[in-house]
Order: sequence, then C-alpha cells, then structure tokens
Amino acid sequence: MQLSSVYLFEVGSQKAQWLSARQTAIAANVANANTPGYHAVDIQPFSAVLDSSPIELATTNPAHMSLPQSETGALREVETDPAEQTLSGNTVNLEQQMIDLGEVTRDYTMGSNIRRAFHQLLLSALK
Amino acid sequence: MMQDPLQTSLRIAASGLQAQSTRLRIVSQNIANAQSTGSAPGADPYSRQTVSFESEMDRTLGANVVAVKSIGVDSSPFKLEHDPGNPAADEGGMVKMPNVDVLTELADMREANRSYEANLQVAKQSADMLNTTISLMKDA
Amino acid sequence: MIESVSGIGSASLSAGVRSPTAAAAPAQGPSFDQALAQVIGSAVDTLQAGEAVAIQGIQGAAPPMKVVDSVMAAQRSLQTVLAIRDKAVSAYQEVARMAI
Repeated sequence: MQLSSVYLFEVGSQKAQWLSARQTAIAANVANANTPGYHAVDIQPFSAVLDSSPIELATTNPAHMSLPQSETGALREVETDPAEQTLSGNTVNLEQQMIDLGEVTRDYTMGSNIRRAFHQLLLSALK
Repeated sequence: MMQDPLQTSLRIAASGLQAQSTRLRIVSQNIANAQSTGSAPGADPYSRQTVSFESEMDRTLGANVVAVKSIGVDSSPFKLEHDPGNPAADEGGMVKMPNVDVLTELADMREANRSYEANLQVAKQSADMLNTTISLMKDA
Repeated sequence: MIESVSGIGSASLSAGVRSPTAAAAPAQGPSFDQALAQVIGSAVDTLQAGEAVAIQGIQGAAPPMKVVDSVMAAQRSLQTVLAIRDKAVSAYQEVARMAI
C-alpha cells in the first residue's frame, strides 16, 4: 500500500512533453497562416504516446517540411476539407489554432498543478 | 542538441511576429503613398508593393519558421486621372495615379493585425508555460 | 510513507491508551484507537483515490472539477493524518519524559 506516485509523475511528465510538442505545432501553423502552400500540421494524440513505449519517432513523408522532432513523436499533416483551402493553398484555420492553443494552456496548467500538489504532498509526509 | 520545444515555439512565434510586422509596414507604406504621383511629366507614380511569405527550415532550431520571401512590386496598370495642373501631367493632362486601392490595403491591414495578434498569443502562452514549469520547483 | 504513518498512528497510541479506555467507555461506540485507525484507513483510501483520479485527469479522462475535488480531499486527509502523527509523537515523548 505504498503511495510513491511514481506512475503519476511519469505520466504527468510525458503529458507535459506532449503538450510542448503540440504547442510547437500550433506555433508553426500560426506563424505560417499566410504562407502560400503551407498545410497545417498536428501531432499524434496523447493516447498513442501512452501506448507506445518507449515513445518512438515515426516519420511522415520526408519530402514534407519537417517540424521539430520532439521526443513525443513526429508531426503529421492535418486532413482538412479542400474547400477550406485558400487560393494560395494554405490550409491553416486560425480560429481552430486559437482554440487548440487554449486547450494546451489548460491541460498544461492542470498537469503542472497536479504534479505540484502531489509533490508537496509527498514532501510534507516525509518531514 | 535538440532545442526545448517550448523555446522553439517561442522562436517560431517570434518569426511570425516579424513577418507580420513587415507586412504591416508595407501596407502602411502603400496607404501613405496612395496619392504619390511622379515628379516629372508622364513619370510613373508610386507602385504598390506586395509581401510574400515562405516557410523556411531554421537549422539551429530544427523548426520551420516563416520569413518574408520577397517584397515585390505590383505590376498592375496605373489609374489615369485628369489633372492638368499636376507636375506629372502629360500632354493630355492625364496623371498616372498609384495602383493602390486603399480599401484593399485596409482589409490587408486588418488581416495582418489578426495574424500578428495570433502570433502574440502563441508567444505569450509559450512563455507562460515555461514560467509554470520553472515555478514547479518553488517551495510551497 | 503511508505505511509508516499508519504504523505510528495505530501502534503507539493504541498501546498507551488501551487500558484507560477499555475500563472507562466499554459500551459507547468505537474506542479511541479504533476511531483513529478508521480515520487513518480512510485517509489512505482518499489518497489513493486522489492519485487515481489525478492520473485520469492527466490522461484527459476525468473532468477538471472531479480532479480538483479529489486532489484537495487527498491533501486534507493527509494533513489530518500528519497532525495526528505529530500529536502522537509528541504525546509519546511527553510520556517518556515523565519522571518515574
């Protein structure tokens, strides 16, 4: 009946890394929102990260411009409705990116606070 | 060495801010010069400038940042106005006016602003996430 | 960590307190040491539940409200147990210091 919480801290750390990688994808999309021919990218869902151990680096089409290869996996193109493409071939939906951005912040704050709470919990019990 | 993804996202957002502010500068320039005619008779007026972006791979970051590919010149024809008193008027009294449509430029400016704000939001959030991470170590 | 906390709670207190309570309140609900053991037992459950819900929260499977409630409940119960532990330890030390 040990409350060492090792798994919690591990998952928390993985989630934080995944969220950082997602933040990078969103940053790239937003920065390139007006670049002709640029296709929006995203990373694989967190459940896929949890299932694979260790987290491997799947590669997408190498001809595509590759985005930061973080430890949590490669970036892949998002399937978008061709009707949403602009004349110049850009598929970034800025509103969607902003929503995703908000999601990342909330999850990151939640994860950090959970880890901090349990960290303090364990520390106080050891005093 | 792989850059921390959060710091990378900050750099990417910064490149976006840079690109959009260049775009804003060119748009403002176009608007400011919407009435700038040439100085000699029959001379060409101010030509509308355009900005085109491209995605480029930054080797040090290992990330795709955005950059201004080129600042081009719009080659669409100049409008002609009848203004015999103007120093740039030719024999027929017609003056070539800049090929700038202020309404188009204003729409472009709004777009550029919107993109700029979005990049700013990303940058702020990445910075916040970094600060949150560091503050995890702070004692209760 | 939790094992040692439970250990201190149940062992030292019940050992010192058993004789008086057995004689004084034989038929009035659970005895003091039993009540104490209950509190510590439920604290362990709350802590484990809190950890499980927190993991779910990280995975995105639990709503934030639930996570917040469980984690705060876990914090509260641990504080309670720690307070009990500290009181038990100081009481024991006091008894040990008594002149024979």
